Amino acid sequence: MPLFGKSQKSPQELVKSLREGLTALTRETGEKKLDKASDDVSKNLAAIKTVLYGTESQEPQTDQVAQLAHEMYDHNMLQLLVTHLGKIDFEGRKDVAQIFNNLLRRQIGTRAPTVEYLCSRQEIVLDLMKGYETQDIALNCGMMLRECCRYEQLAKIILYSEDFHKFFDYVEVSTFDVASDAFSTFKELLTKHKMLAAVFLDQNYDKVFDPYQHLLNSENYVTRRQALKLLGELLLDRHNFSIMTKYISNPDNLKMMMNMLREKSRNIQFEAFHVFKVFVANPNKPKPILDILLRNKDKLVDFLTKFHTDRSDDEQFNDEKAYLIKQIKELKPVEET
Amino acid sequence: MIAEENTSKVKSMSFLNCSRSREKVSSPTDSPPYDKEQYFKKQNVSSPVDSEHSSRGDFPNIMLEYGNEPLQYDLYATIGKGCNDAGTISVAKHIASGHNVAIRQVDLDKDLDVIALQREIVLCRQIHHESILPYYTSFVHNNEVWTVMPLMAYGSCRDLLHAYFANGLPEQAIAYILRDILCALDYLHGRGIIHRGVKASHILISAAGRVCLSGMRMACPLIKHGEWKKCVYRYPENAQKLLCWFSPEMLEQNLRGYDTKSDIYSVGITACELANGYPPFSDIPATEMLLEKLSGIMPSLNEYTTQPDLIPDENVANSEDSGKETSNTTQTVTIKRSFSANFHHFVKLCLERDPYKRPSAQSLLSHPFLKNLRKKSTSVLPSLLLPVTPLLDASKLPKEPVDNGVDKAHHVYFKR
Repeated sequence: MPLFGKSQKSPQELVKSLREGLTALTRETGEKKLDKASDDVSKNLAAIKTVLYGTESQEPQTDQVAQLAHEMYDHNMLQLLVTHLGKIDFEGRKDVAQIFNNLLRRQIGTRAPTVEYLCSRQEIVLDLMKGYETQDIALNCGMMLRECCRYEQLAKIILYSEDFHKFFDYVEVSTFDVASDAFSTFKELLTKHKMLAAVFLDQNYDKVFDPYQHLLNSENYVTRRQALKLLGELLLDRHNFSIMTKYISNPDNLKMMMNMLREKSRNIQFEAFHVFKVFVANPNKPKPILDILLRNKDKLVDFLTKFHTDRSDDEQFNDEKAYLIKQIKELKPVEET
Repeated sequence: MIAEENTSKVKSMSFLNCSRSREKVSSPTDSPPYDKEQYFKKQNVSSPVDSEHSSRGDFPNIMLEYGNEPLQYDLYATIGKGCNDAGTISVAKHIASGHNVAIRQVDLDKDLDVIALQREIVLCRQIHHESILPYYTSFVHNNEVWTVMPLMAYGSCRDLLHAYFANGLPEQAIAYILRDILCALDYLHGRGIIHRGVKASHILISAAGRVCLSGMRMACPLIKHGEWKKCVYRYPENAQKLLCWFSPEMLEQNLRGYDTKSDIYSVGITACELANGYPPFSDIPATEMLLEKLSGIMPSLNEYTTQPDLIPDENVANSEDSGKETSNTTQTVTIKRSFSANFHHFVKLCLERDPYKRPSAQSLLSHPFLKNLRKKSTSVLPSLLLPVTPLLDASKLPKEPVDNGVDKAHHVYFKR
């Protein structure tokens, strides 16, 4: 932050200078010139960030922010920044994400100009998704992408994009931080906008739940546990009623949950319980489901009676468990017609 | 880096308690052999050692990659605990390079907030500062998350107090340590991050004397959804062990919230901890501590000027030249010892009850207490910490077998 107001560049100058720096960064080959370009880019990014966020002693000034935003749109800076993110230095990349996220929340009346802008340039959002494939920029892209998910129009673009299925790979990469970040974006997409997600899941049931089974079977403990927990949340959300009905009609899904109840990890057992209960509580169990439950009736009652008995202070869990045991005890085969 | 390599030639005794046995018992021999195929097939995904980082610090500047496979590391003795005891920290050797590293293994089946752990690791991977503990890589193995980080061979400042400096570190050492910690906080605060966990056990020192702040699990961002908040209100979860260091405004949990200045208060408490050998308020119940902090009672550095009631005992040796202090001499040492006026003033500023009156990390860096220090702690700190010497050669420690069979049995069982 310059000490004297006059030495500060105007928004126009900042964006111009940033653009020149980025061009140099992509064209130059000499090491010295590249270093200088990288320095310039980072300095301008830091200055732009200051205009948008203000400082401890100064609130951001609305007119400056408005001018800056226009310069950014007019020169297609968001696209440029995302495309060349990997070339920008470490701190600069974080500033890009902060700048992006701040612009995204801009509102004029009921309009959200940056969101509209991104809707007309979907490739920016799609590029952000691809960012998960490059370790160096994955977390920066994740930060921006998750902010995008908060806006329904943008979440829709991501959900319905061809590359959505790639999330099933991203959440399983071996680097824990990237996988974690990708999972939180994935979860945000499926839970933030309930109606949007419900319609999407309904239309794309197989496209989502086939690879989802793979996550539940993952070798990676964290993937398995998170996927199971999210599944429970999705099925128990009333917006997803038709998805739940479909899911709990498939005997393979029931078998899987019964196996997961016996996983070694108590946390996984517990999450599996919350999916399993939906199968049992269903008043209209399809015959294959009922058959499995009947076949295992005694074993299940015995198993559930001994299941996590130390959770005595968790009232809801104990109520649910008692209810399941009662339900299973009362199960009767339907009359064949 | 060169310093670290050189000093490793010096034969040293470790102060670290390596005799503690691992909690986990390795799998019995009848378990299937380690499934190499399973672990090598994903091997092409690994994280590069960042050249930018390694050129700045004293950590090995190796142009290779720390992989995400347990087999790439040899584990040695346990050197510590973390994450509310769900984590075990061990000395390890990165086999390909022969470099010593530390690996933290967090058991996710323990009672633990996985989301918080994920947040911590994601945050740490987005931080580059020479005085903040870097995480090289992190991956999942069975029901554990492994995090690979540099070996901080002196351990934490808490370890130092335990090992030798029961009555506190020398003032000069404290100055260097706090200077580096304030640099780290200046970096974090400038990026809108409140650390919330500054205390001696979160300050680690490398063999070469590089000081690193760790314990980012409690960190809290002021920037959220593209907006820089002036303060936050959320009280951190699982914070029982940190109460002594928390600022009054944080403990108060009122509508005024708290901000980065809260960390400055913790620096003040940590300063007392380093100087006195134990944190203030640690001997009274938490409720009393809360009341004292809220009423503005300011802890201070123990010495004869601050504890006038005590009568010095001439017969007991000065702390400076006796290495075998026993606990009953503590009081005597307290009285005989004195700290500079600058140090007292520094602590007083940090512990201001009103956060607005507390200076920022940046302005504290120019406080007279921190003037006239060498630019790099690495050139001075190890000599100030004598006779304690760092743990240098991992291969002298007992080796731990990688427990590979833990999940095997039910993996096979549940594969469909």
